[in-house]
Amino acid sequence: MTRLAPIAGEWIDRSHAIDFEFEGRPYRGFAGDTITSALWASGVRVLGRSFKYHRPRGVLSLANHDVNALVADGRSLHLRADVTALAAGMRLSPVNVFGTLARDRAHLLDRFARFLPVGFYYKAFFKPKWMFPHWERAIRKLSGLGKLDFDAPRGRTPNRHAFCDVLVIGAGPSGMAAALGAGRAGARVILVDENARIGGSLSYARGTDARPRELLERMNLDIAACTGIRVMPATFAAGYYADRSFALVDQDKMVKVRARSVIVATGVMEQPAAFRHNDLPGVMLASAAQRLIHRYAVQPMQSAVVLTANTEGYVAALDLHAAGVQVNTIVDLRADAEESDAARAVSEQGIGIMRRSCIFEAIVTPDRFGVRAVTVCRLNTDDSPDSASRTEVPCDGVAMSVGFAPANGLLHQAGARMLFDEGIQQFVPNGLPAGVFAAGRVNGVYDLTTRLRDGERAAAQALEHLRMPWSAPDVPAPPAPRCPSFAYPIVEHPDGKNFVDFDEDLTVRDFARAAQEGFDSSELLKRYTTVGMGPSQGKHSNMNALRILARIRGRSIGDLGTTTARPFIHPVPLSHLAGRGFTPVRRTPLQCLHERAGAVFMQAGVWLRPEYYAREGKSKTEAVTEEVLAVRRAAGLIDVGTLGKIEVSGPDACELLERVYTGRFQNLKVGMTRYAVMLDEAGVITDDGVVARLGEQRFYFTTTTTGSASVYRELQRYIAQWRLDCGIVNLTGAMAAMNLAGPRSREILAKVSDMPLDNNAFPYLGAREGVIAGVVARVLRVGFVGELGFEIHLPAELAAHVWDTLLAADAAVTPFGVEAQRWLRLEKGHIIIGQDTDGLTTPLEAALEWVLKMDKPFFVGQRSVQAMRARPIKHKLIGFVFPPAYSGPSPKECHLVIREGEIAGRITSVAYSPTLKQIIGLAMVAPEMAAPGSLFKIRVDGGTMLEAEAVAAPFYDPRGERQRMSLAQLQARYRSQEVA
Amino acid sequence: MMRASPLHDCLARLDTQWGRLNDMPIAISAGAEANTSLQLLDLSALRRTGLKGPGAASWLQSRSVCVPERANSWSGFADGGLIARLGRSEFLLEDAPPGAVVSAVTDALVAPATGVYPVLRQDAALMVRGEAVDELLAQTCSIDLSAGALEERAVSLTMMAGISVIVIDVSSAHAAPCYRIWCDGTYGAYLWETLLEIAVELGGGAAGLNAIYPDLQASGGNASIQS
Repeated sequence: MTRLAPIAGEWIDRSHAIDFEFEGRPYRGFAGDTITSALWASGVRVLGRSFKYHRPRGVLSLANHDVNALVADGRSLHLRADVTALAAGMRLSPVNVFGTLARDRAHLLDRFARFLPVGFYYKAFFKPKWMFPHWERAIRKLSGLGKLDFDAPRGRTPNRHAFCDVLVIGAGPSGMAAALGAGRAGARVILVDENARIGGSLSYARGTDARPRELLERMNLDIAACTGIRVMPATFAAGYYADRSFALVDQDKMVKVRARSVIVATGVMEQPAAFRHNDLPGVMLASAAQRLIHRYAVQPMQSAVVLTANTEGYVAALDLHAAGVQVNTIVDLRADAEESDAARAVSEQGIGIMRRSCIFEAIVTPDRFGVRAVTVCRLNTDDSPDSASRTEVPCDGVAMSVGFAPANGLLHQAGARMLFDEGIQQFVPNGLPAGVFAAGRVNGVYDLTTRLRDGERAAAQALEHLRMPWSAPDVPAPPAPRCPSFAYPIVEHPDGKNFVDFDEDLTVRDFARAAQEGFDSSELLKRYTTVGMGPSQGKHSNMNALRILARIRGRSIGDLGTTTARPFIHPVPLSHLAGRGFTPVRRTPLQCLHERAGAVFMQAGVWLRPEYYAREGKSKTEAVTEEVLAVRRAAGLIDVGTLGKIEVSGPDACELLERVYTGRFQNLKVGMTRYAVMLDEAGVITDDGVVARLGEQRFYFTTTTTGSASVYRELQRYIAQWRLDCGIVNLTGAMAAMNLAGPRSREILAKVSDMPLDNNAFPYLGAREGVIAGVVARVLRVGFVGELGFEIHLPAELAAHVWDTLLAADAAVTPFGVEAQRWLRLEKGHIIIGQDTDGLTTPLEAALEWVLKMDKPFFVGQRSVQAMRARPIKHKLIGFVFPPAYSGPSPKECHLVIREGEIAGRITSVAYSPTLKQIIGLAMVAPEMAAPGSLFKIRVDGGTMLEAEAVAAPFYDPRGERQRMSLAQLQARYRSQEVA
Repeated sequence: MMRASPLHDCLARLDTQWGRLNDMPIAISAGAEANTSLQLLDLSALRRTGLKGPGAASWLQSRSVCVPERANSWSGFADGGLIARLGRSEFLLEDAPPGAVVSAVTDALVAPATGVYPVLRQDAALMVRGEAVDELLAQTCSIDLSAGALEERAVSLTMMAGISVIVIDVSSAHAAPCYRIWCDGTYGAYLWETLLEIAVELGGGAAGLNAIYPDLQASGGNASIQS
């Protein structure tokens, strides 16, 4: 056990022990531990195996900046052990291992590493071609991390929005100062930090200085007392989007935040040095060692060497020393002596310092799972190691503090310009978008006092942006500049294994190879080597990769620039991205009645519509056939409330319709309806419907089910554009509609209405307002299904009453669904816009020339139609039939029409007609195939070719007599059917 | 003849005690009346009407209806109803029982003046209230509807759970945060089911109208839509 005695400010709760398993063995940690800290405290040093070579790996960053320790817990895959809170009952296993961590069968890959350099797979697996499936399987098996459980239940992930005046990302000293500055001024602040507690480096980088801990305690109290600040710990800002919108991700959900201003105080990420065997368990970033000590009271190692090039390394040495670690030496890459309180304290502790030196390699323990010593060399003037000056220093761990990379991904995404500051060896913001501010170490500010002031300065700027009261903070003179990052913490070694990217097992040599192959820009290098493309997204590797490339090319880092930063800066669980699904469904007011009647529903756009009404013991086809025959023989009732329903009134109402529809409406009499087709500017059919004239300046019209919203929107635009004096009201949802159709429909309607319904009082295509079942309704005498029919429109809240009354009026009334309606209208040859037409179909192709009133002064699409008329059409919509005796497979919609082996068209509608007792359909074919009597081939499922005959539509009642029937005719027809 | 709420079937699936209001079956109680954290109520039974057009504002004023001056704002009637100005020239009027403004306006709209166009309102009308309302709204709406975020008596025409809604904050008349929501009646069941699912997760539920109108009487039995 390496758990330390209680440490002030530790995050663990020693009174709450947690039992868990790792690789089948029981362990115990405390509440507040992460998986890694609990394992490390239990003496476990190998936490995972590397992705490519299966090398043993331990703690590197302990900060979500690497994935050395990636574990699975049942159905939860890819848990980052460094930052995942320990929970009782966890049964953890590493994800990239064949066997156990101690006995990983894939460890042999490390022996063959020199045969598997970067990019080898670009050249290796594509020949011979027949071998590729084998390679693919092998690579998938080797590279898969974890095993997905396809039976895992679907989780419910909330999808949340939040809003604030100032979003502060990063709760280190500068972020906390910024939040306090803005919050105290009255702004609504959200302070977000990826760690379980706020405080940033104040919670772990201490040395002998008591100030950080005292400052943290004081600021914590201040923030808790400031009601305007909402703290969101254990939450990371994953991406920046337009208008200062951010995706904040925690363990359970994603929160979409819209901020009026944002302060990015995301700090920096400590970077590893590259030397041979720098990836062994025990070699870790100094900040990782400090986090183990101060947050989790875990001794990171017993005997340490500290590799450093900055003040932070000396502070870390003091932290290690205070934790009982034997610090054998500090290896300082710099030539100049460190001048700081920490350096003086180090001297007082008697810790030796080797200046202008590097670690040449870490020497592996006999079991190959740890470090037993390091070899230290002096550095030459060109930063190369002087191998003649080797000294071996025993240790079981190395703490690296050689530099930092700014966590500036969000700033990049926000469009910030970056400048590489050679003085501090860091990219710093050099131009930020409005409302976006940076503070603290991401801004290049390292001194603690200055970081606090920088946070206050950013808060003042944010308040000024928000036009809220603010006051200029007291900005003291900046301290003497110091460089926290060493320019080239990379040590070449003839035997390699000096890792740069721990996710992808990339070594220094791999970058040289990539450059030799010509991939020598930052973007190309990334893609060839895959540096930064692992789960860590380059957090611990991109900066060193850039330093290596700059050194190879002899260019400055600023010249090379960085790769593009895109959301997300951390991987986000797919369940979070899916969130709660909002899939709006529209239901007519008759929905519940359809359900009770056994309707089987289908989706029609956003609507749910009855496809047919199930009948006990009958198939779908039999049920639909009965519905069709009921309409043809007696009466059917269908819910057509999904149709778009729009009313337009005013002096220019008629003018609007004249312009947006191809037909003529000036001469439409009050109380009559007319079929109407709408085109776009290109002359393509976009919608159709029926226009009823209710008054001289008042029209009511229908649109297709899917077109209602877009038609309404277009009409609103046209009214404004043309400055017409009329008002338009969308009644699609407010009005229900049902169609009573069939030879007995008039007789049945007469039972529940006093409206005059005979042919003279209410002729075919008439429109009337009257009372049906006690409800004032609009009734249109239209015949979409080819029978005498009455389309009844009425307020939605009364629709159920009228529907039930009509069904109860006569036992012959049969409810019918969309499928029967499709068959009925097909028998009649009526087209459905969007099914028998597509996004290119013109009225000339769809046999709708008759609706084009080209002598009108204008309608939308008119000029295009004029141009089309001068050219031959490419397709024509025709009817076709199969012989009545045909009994083979039926073609389906979208089956292809084939002529001489080439595609010559497609089936748009097809069905077996119960009335005509043969297969009928509509097809879009080449014009020369359209002559009635022509035969053409249809390729159906399985490649079978069927022969169909082109015929003129309609197939049923071509003269339209049934729709126009007088009462006497109807009664006669009905009696004859009864006899038949 | 009975009117039917767009949410009738949603409420019928709950443990509902029915009553009647304005010729519509209403839920007197629906199970969560005592739950103060979050309640959903169906107010579709309230009488409402709409009108739009360049002459709508002056037409209303000529009938002594006090019109909100600002676009996208609302004001209350003395008897508890309200008028919401939707944009510049459209209005939604709703009576609270036993208000009579809507009936008078509806009657007058049979023969509207020039530039006044009646708008048939068949909305699903909801109320959400309780301490957890902000969380409910935050999970379903991408604009900030919380107290203080909008101008006083603002009308928000926005999207909630993917559909268009009208939202107003009526918290000032209640002890807890309270919002009115209207949507197209054909989306009503979807919105209700979505909000209720989240509300239940947040510890709330559906409540009947007795929660806000204690004088409403139960009609007995489990009224059907055609009762």
